[in-house]
Amino acid sequence: MKAKNIMEPLKAYLTPDDTLKSAVNKMKVCGRGEGLVGVKGMVVLDAGGNLVGLVSIKDILGAVIPSYLKVTKLGGFTWDGMLEEMAKKVADKKVSEFMTTKVVTVPESAPLMECADLLIKHNLQRLPVLDEQKKVVGIIYVRDLYYRIVSVLFEGQEICPL
Amino acid sequence: MSTVAHEAAAAAETYAMDGTFWTATIIFILAYAVIISEKVHKTVVAVVGASLMIVMKILQQHEAFHIEELGVDWNVVFLLISMMIIINLMRPTGFFEYIAIKSAKVGKGEPLRIMIIFAVVTAVLSALLDNVTTVLLLAPVTLLIADALEVDPIPFLIVEALASNIGGTATLIGDPPNIMIASKAKLNFMDFVYHLGPIVVVMMVVFLAIVKVVFRKRLKTREELKERILQMNEMEAIKDPVMLKKSLIVLGIVLLGFVFHGVLHYQPATVALFGAGLLLLLSNTHDPHHYLADVEWPTIFFFMGLFIIVGGVVKVGLIKMMSLKVLALTQGNMFATSMILMWFSAVASAIVDNIPYVATMNPLVIDMAQQLWPHESGMALLQHPELMPVWWSLALGACLGGNGSPIGASANVIIVGMAERAGHKISFMKFVAYGAPIMVLTVFISMIYVWLRYYYFA
Repeated sequence: MKAKNIMEPLKAYLTPDDTLKSAVNKMKVCGRGEGLVGVKGMVVLDAGGNLVGLVSIKDILGAVIPSYLKVTKLGGFTWDGMLEEMAKKVADKKVSEFMTTKVVTVPESAPLMECADLLIKHNLQRLPVLDEQKKVVGIIYVRDLYYRIVSVLFEGQEICPL
Repeated sequence: MSTVAHEAAAAAETYAMDGTFWTATIIFILAYAVIISEKVHKTVVAVVGASLMIVMKILQQHEAFHIEELGVDWNVVFLLISMMIIINLMRPTGFFEYIAIKSAKVGKGEPLRIMIIFAVVTAVLSALLDNVTTVLLLAPVTLLIADALEVDPIPFLIVEALASNIGGTATLIGDPPNIMIASKAKLNFMDFVYHLGPIVVVMMVVFLAIVKVVFRKRLKTREELKERILQMNEMEAIKDPVMLKKSLIVLGIVLLGFVFHGVLHYQPATVALFGAGLLLLLSNTHDPHHYLADVEWPTIFFFMGLFIIVGGVVKVGLIKMMSLKVLALTQGNMFATSMILMWFSAVASAIVDNIPYVATMNPLVIDMAQQLWPHESGMALLQHPELMPVWWSLALGACLGGNGSPIGASANVIIVGMAERAGHKISFMKFVAYGAPIMVLTVFISMIYVWLRYYYFA
């Protein structure tokens, strides 16, 4: 089995010029049926359809946290309502300003072990899958590999109740 | 023999415009030009330039590494490294954050009062530690306080940068130009406090008065926002009380050591190295790697490289040629020399890095002294009564000139960078609009001071 066999085909993506607010909206809409927040990450494609970045909910949080808190231990001096204030302040920030630009990807033909290794090694939640033209065709999530492990361990068996 | 004849003899003896002279001059000019252009990192330029001085056989390796007049000034290097180690050990204790939060609370959440207290704290810490570290640690707290009070942080940050450059002027360790001048002129810590301290206090008072007038009406906040500051508990900033106590004791010993190093016949670097060693020992660390790796090695290598590059042009006589030109211009009038040097240094330091500038000017001043008083040597020459105001003018000009532009001093570069990352862009001209008038004013005050103290009442 290869990456392309278990990936989720690409449904939606962000552009570098999307604002933080519109990115959040796209993630919410796209993820209907996946809980309150929607999908927890999306690829960012430029006008030519090339992968330029990735935005996860952690990147959104990172954009809301002021830069000076990141380099210090001043977290104890923040106040009630600061997170909400800062979120409103950065609503118009461009995706290109806070997306992760170093994206780890795999080709369609990558073995599942390579995918699992990359996800764990780089502490990732998702891996974009690229075709031969380097275009994103799908995404592999941690849970896809986990389900694969579950299914081989219980091949032909019922999962035992505790 | 007349002075003029002396000059001619000295000049003829020590430099000839041969191939070596031109090779060294070209390396020097190219290196400085590339540093100013910022096309290549300044440390890389300094290391390449220094190695070329040796490879081209302008300096022998022995001269570059072991002869103080021609190569690395280890006194400066070890003083810088040691102070950086002390600060690296001190930073995680939360001491600086404590001071900053405490200051904001003392200011009762009133923006103008906080701005003035922060300026004073920055100036004092810059004088006793170094201004880069001071602004690096105070700027994040400033941004937090400004967000809490919902005021524009930019005026606060610029005022801090300016205060750090003024404060750093007061002491031997406050600003790199002073460290370099002290080492070359064999001046001690108390010399700086005695000669530059009083005028720095005057400049700070004038500066703060201006800050108060300019921002009195512009800085307003709401009562409920002040409450955010008053709610903060500064004790939470202290992460390691035991290490904090040890750091403060060692810092106290080091500062006392600086006060008495002249009397006790220790070099400032000895005092700082002792402090760094003692604090490393007291920290019980089994892994000093981290504290040592965090020394700003690019800065240290920048210094080392520059010393060698300048050593090369000292050896071939370029510096002598320049000093003769200056003497011809000023006709040996020391008052004129001081004034010209002060303003020239201020403008030069606003435009280019003041470290390479002072590295070049130091040997030039010494060479000038040798031309003027050929029979003197050692301390009698370096600290000739008529030469002292020249050293102070160089220090005042080079340190205060840093306020003239956002690239004039390392503290400014750090403030501008940190503000930009926090989403508050400080344009070049915006900084100049605040900094240049303060630079001109403080240099003007210095000029009056040098004239009154060393010429009028001398």
